[in-house]
Amino acid sequence: MIDVNKIVSSLERNYILKLLKEGKRIDGRDLFEFREIKIKTNFSPKAEGSADVFLGDTRVMCGVKYDIGKPYSDNPDQGVVTVMSEYVPIASPMFESGPPREDSIQLARVVDRGIRHTNCINKKDLCIEPFKAVYILFVDCYMMDYFGNLTDTAAIAAIAALLSAKIPGAKWDSEKGEAVWDGTIKPLTIHEIPLSITFGRVGDVIFVDPCLPEELILDGSIAFAVDEKKQITSIQKYGNATWTVDEIMEISEKAIEIADDLRKKMNLRQYTPKAS
Amino acid sequence: MPVLVPEPHDPVCFRKDGKRLDGRDVDEPRPFSCEVGVIKNAQGSAVVRHGGNLIYAAVYGPREVHPRHLAKPDRGILRVYYRMATFSVHDRKSPAPNRRDNEISKVIREAIEPVLFLEAYPDSQIEVFIQIMAADGGTRCASTTAASLALADAGIPMRSMIVGIAAGKAQDKVILDLGDKEDKVGQADVPAVVVMKDKSISLLQFDGEMSLEEMKLSFKYILKGAEVIYKKQLEALKGKYETIRVNAKKESEEYQKSVKETSQKKPQSLLDTIVSKKTEEIKDTKKPKEDEKVQKSKKEQKKETKKGTKKSKKVTKKKTEEKAQKTNETIENAPQKDSEKGGKTK
Repeated sequence: MIDVNKIVSSLERNYILKLLKEGKRIDGRDLFEFREIKIKTNFSPKAEGSADVFLGDTRVMCGVKYDIGKPYSDNPDQGVVTVMSEYVPIASPMFESGPPREDSIQLARVVDRGIRHTNCINKKDLCIEPFKAVYILFVDCYMMDYFGNLTDTAAIAAIAALLSAKIPGAKWDSEKGEAVWDGTIKPLTIHEIPLSITFGRVGDVIFVDPCLPEELILDGSIAFAVDEKKQITSIQKYGNATWTVDEIMEISEKAIEIADDLRKKMNLRQYTPKAS
Repeated sequence: MPVLVPEPHDPVCFRKDGKRLDGRDVDEPRPFSCEVGVIKNAQGSAVVRHGGNLIYAAVYGPREVHPRHLAKPDRGILRVYYRMATFSVHDRKSPAPNRRDNEISKVIREAIEPVLFLEAYPDSQIEVFIQIMAADGGTRCASTTAASLALADAGIPMRSMIVGIAAGKAQDKVILDLGDKEDKVGQADVPAVVVMKDKSISLLQFDGEMSLEEMKLSFKYILKGAEVIYKKQLEALKGKYETIRVNAKKESEEYQKSVKETSQKKPQSLLDTIVSKKTEEIKDTKKPKEDEKVQKSKKEQKKETKKGTKKSKKVTKKKTEEKAQKTNETIENAPQKDSEKGGKTK
């Protein structure tokens, strides 16, 4: 959880707990209902792709930039995708400026793994010339307003930004010894759309998409990344709570179900630009 | 290694008809729009779209100074953080603040300080966070405009609004509000911030070659352009309250409508039936204290019907709505509800 210096009053805490035990939420949702999602792509003309995503009042703005660089020596024919997150102090009185903290790095890595392990982007597509030049994609997520569940919002923002991105095509010029532009600008090929589903837990009650007051009293949470084949591709447990195996299996199924539903609702493929 | 497609670099800044490449006259600012209250967590916030710039500003404070040793016992301190998103420029920028970011943060701070009453906040700080989401020349000016809006939105007393706008010179002509290209290939650049109350200048930088005559003309253009932006600033600040007023009116009408509907029909939602059952139980078991309890449960029921009917609305809206109801409608509606309830329990 985020470095919390906001204290939740015991009155509010007890009220949220009481509601949760009755199967209700402080904002009137069901236990397994997501907040409303709003997506706007290509807000930044200087970025190759960008997305501005609202999950309720939580807001994440994400942009994609690329660079050409040398591949890692153990994967000479694969490009690199890096997800970074910035907890900018704009977003909340709890965030401070300075180098990224643990939470920020964890969030970026969770979103990164969601993208990496689903084979969302085939890294071999990003290779220009083995051992010499590959694309390096930078996916930077800026938390703009914090009202709980940044992980899921950032995951949607990252994938929407990648879907909306257009990258100049490259070919290897062996005379110059460098990659040159081949005159085309193409959308990225996205094979899979991973979604992140976060469950929070207070005592025995488990629920999806915690909002800010709920997040501040959470014992712990679990984020699942689910792909289009209805497989779970990554899991991250946050916080101090422990989970029984039965609970984990139960919410895994729930995660797949919810992700499927969200996927249909959002129809993220609509943000793919038409090839020109 | 540089990116594949380099930025086009040719020195032409004017079309054949004498207008600039985007069709503007020499003394015409770029399209400008702004909005306040865009970041809900902040005390005050604003977004500014100035040409291709997209800039968010948020204000937190006055609040405790951290680290403590920076605090001044006789006055508050202002801290400004100017930061660019990595994807806001042509070549990806490193997320860590560089020398340019720090310098611009400082000059913006010194442009804002003269219009604030910092002596009124001893031992505390006001923080202004500026995030550039897309840069297109003149970000320090647009940032100051955004910061001014965010401070006003936060309700921090100010002597005047401030407006930032740049003038410059390209192809031997003085021009107002340089775009990214004009900034790069031009001969001079004069970013300035105008304190609108007395038209004094609170930020001034200059960089390039210009005669004194041209300098004079630049200031003339700057004051003219600032006036245009100032009007839009005021519109945005007033506009926020206008939308709040309209929404509140709409919501209160909807609420009154829904109350009428629910009072005419029998309770249909599950919650209503549960509550009415409870009141019946109470009536059966504890007769002497009946009146008190029934009244209590009425209050509960009222709260819950509100929730039931407005499930889809956001919590914040609910809060403002409830405030409005408390003042206006509770008195009106209470007797209605009572008679309805009374009829049922009897």
